[in-house]
Amino acid sequence: MAVDVSGATAASHEAPLERARRAAEAFGTVAVAGLLLLSFGLTSSVFLEPANLRNILVQITVVGVAAIGETLVLLVGGLDLSVGANVLLGSVVAGDLVQRHGAPLWVGIAGGVLASTGIGLLNGVLTAVIGIEAILATLGTFLLAGGIAKIVLHSSWIVVDDPFFGNLVRTHVFWQLPVMVIVLFALYAVAAAVMRMTPFGRAVYAIGGNPRAARIAGLPAVRIRIVAFALAGAFAGVAGLLQIGQLGIVSSGNAAGLEFQAITAALIGGLSVSAGGVGRVERTLLGALIVGMIANYQTIRGIPPNYQQALLGGILLLAILTDRLFRGRS
Amino acid sequence: MRSITKRFPGTVALDGVDLDVDGGTIHGLLGENGAGKSTLLKILAGDYRATEGSIEIAGEPVEIDSPRAAREHGIGIVYQELSLLPNLTVAQNISLGFEPSRLGRIESGRVSELAERALDAIGVATVDPERQVAELSLAERQLVEIARVLTIQRPRVIVFDEPTTALNHHDVLRLFTIMSRLRDDGVGVIFVSHRYREVLEICDVSTVLRNGRVVGRVERGEASLGRLVELTLGQKGETVFARRWRADGGGEVVASARGLSIGSRIHGIDLELRRGEIVSLCGLLGMGQTEVARALIGDGRDIDGSITIRGVAGVPRSPRSAVRLGAGLIPEDRQAEGLFPDMSVRANISISSLRRIVLSPLVRIISWARERRLVGEVGERTGIAARALPRPVRTLSGGNQQKSLLARWLLRRCDLLICIEPTRGVDVGAKVEIYRRLEDLACGGAAVLIVSTDLPEVLGLSDRIVVLYRGTVTAELDPRVASEQELLLAMQGGVEGEISGLLEPEAVS
Repeated sequence: MAVDVSGATAASHEAPLERARRAAEAFGTVAVAGLLLLSFGLTSSVFLEPANLRNILVQITVVGVAAIGETLVLLVGGLDLSVGANVLLGSVVAGDLVQRHGAPLWVGIAGGVLASTGIGLLNGVLTAVIGIEAILATLGTFLLAGGIAKIVLHSSWIVVDDPFFGNLVRTHVFWQLPVMVIVLFALYAVAAAVMRMTPFGRAVYAIGGNPRAARIAGLPAVRIRIVAFALAGAFAGVAGLLQIGQLGIVSSGNAAGLEFQAITAALIGGLSVSAGGVGRVERTLLGALIVGMIANYQTIRGIPPNYQQALLGGILLLAILTDRLFRGRS
Repeated sequence: MRSITKRFPGTVALDGVDLDVDGGTIHGLLGENGAGKSTLLKILAGDYRATEGSIEIAGEPVEIDSPRAAREHGIGIVYQELSLLPNLTVAQNISLGFEPSRLGRIESGRVSELAERALDAIGVATVDPERQVAELSLAERQLVEIARVLTIQRPRVIVFDEPTTALNHHDVLRLFTIMSRLRDDGVGVIFVSHRYREVLEICDVSTVLRNGRVVGRVERGEASLGRLVELTLGQKGETVFARRWRADGGGEVVASARGLSIGSRIHGIDLELRRGEIVSLCGLLGMGQTEVARALIGDGRDIDGSITIRGVAGVPRSPRSAVRLGAGLIPEDRQAEGLFPDMSVRANISISSLRRIVLSPLVRIISWARERRLVGEVGERTGIAARALPRPVRTLSGGNQQKSLLARWLLRRCDLLICIEPTRGVDVGAKVEIYRRLEDLACGGAAVLIVSTDLPEVLGLSDRIVVLYRGTVTAELDPRVASEQELLLAMQGGVEGEISGLLEPEAVS
């Protein structure tokens, strides 16, 4: 006599843990952000000043936009290491076209975004069609995109003086927030809406959550994966344009390590590298804010930049460990 | 083994089981799934300890409290699921865990020697010990597995746990040769199988288990297919399956297969599924019924022949193309292939019908109101509580999870529903509800194909039973007149002479 205990009883057993898990998922990141805000505010006189808070927002914009794409890829069950190099590629192509070839602004913008989207598309094809593991495929395209960017740069740099880019930072819309910060929030709003309210968003969660079941359910898994990677490329391209605005100059060191900041932001926001299909796009923004606040606080307290990378690494590991703790069940 | 009893919390898996295996014989161990065969073997292998009872080898009581102890007493088990490591060589696998070593260094020369000797002992010269296991065929892997088990010192009892499931006829014969040789060397061989013809062919004596008890010990002379089937099933109470409606067989053909061949499993079968009928595809484990179901849903490999779904000819390339033609699959492993554990029950149900819940074909934005309404409707029809719909599907019981999958295809309004083991791990209440819904679906004009090892379920639910044996359709039964015995006999490839006494002529169509 086989007795089935898998279903009915297990559900009631898990309830308290389940609730704690959900509460942690829902409020954990918010709580951490609030706690940091409070403790940094109490220990530093300038931290909570409006100018500094605005400064933080400007500083996280590039990473924040790139992290939207990273989030999509993580949700669909992938990983994109090429994001940083792809941001650089987007800014190099746009800067090169506008500044060195005198192309119209829109050609520069389109060219930059298209170049990055192309790398994203390649990522999608390599992983979804050919079946290469995402971490390896995007390691390859990370080198490829960075290499192309450096070839185009000719071991030099481009000073971009088109006012469009400068205005991204200089022009304030309301509350003295610059255009690029508004763009950041707008992109998050659109991405969050798309993930919640469209069949595409549903499919991304399903494919990330259980690829085999997604296939059996009749979802176009390959196509959705390619689109997710391509969109990650497009967001990297847009982030590249914003970075031109922020720095006014395109040089090969611009987006170095940005992919790790983006991944860290997503993981702090509750996404998982080990399993797709969980997390929310808008929480990645919160993750980016946390990373930005910590970096800003370090600068204010005069902690040398050399320490910042090690600290970022520590935060990344902590985020991964927390993820394991909560999702270690499978 | 003497009066072995094994209790698990809430259930008695074995109740005073005696198993006497003489050296120099091949002993069949039979019984339905859940009869207690695996538990008994695990006790013999040292994986479990018996709650009561003792094990004696050559008249001496022995204590088997670990797999290592079992090995030391000369007990070896060839498992159904192969346990080889594919990226190691044959020789490395054979000596795995017992590598000959000196001063902590593995002596690779002796590893090869050991492997050669082991392969030699079972008369296999065709497998090169230096090849990687990943390169071997399934049958060759099985041979390596056997060789590995035989490296134990002085083997006395060797168990073969359903070894023939994945093998073709030729390889089965080779396996039998090995088993016979072991017998002639004085080893007690235990052969666990659901294939009674093979049991009849090779076993000197058979022990049949049912519900944790020995119900019979049959010597070769008195064994027959009919006798073994009878012992296995016993006098079961008729399960209540009040089918309210039966197809008249005149419905339009929804899906058909012509000359369908799949790998080495299926050789050119024909199958027709009509609107309004529930058809069961039956066969012993490994006879290819799952593969046929998978082929229909576009999830198969090595397929020849033609499949037509709703008038569209051609083997579906992917589940997606089959789903678009109106087919749907409820897989046997709903966790692995059915559900999206972290998504809500509602989203799990609507995932295959996203087109139906968007505002319009052009404005592809999900209307939550429409989703709630449509999923609420099918939820009600399948008996899923409304308050369960927003919860993550992983928090539901097995029965409710299965109902969610059913609701998914109801919402999709599919014309061909394929269910593999539709009620596995499902409680009795949910079972009945699932049967009702499958009936409703058929009444509503869909064709339903069931692949199930639960024979009462097959008989109670189907309009037609198609039996596969060794790659071809060997029988088609009418469940209204066929008995469980007849079905099991047919699944064993029972020939007419042997089953004529049991089978009424009109039962075979």
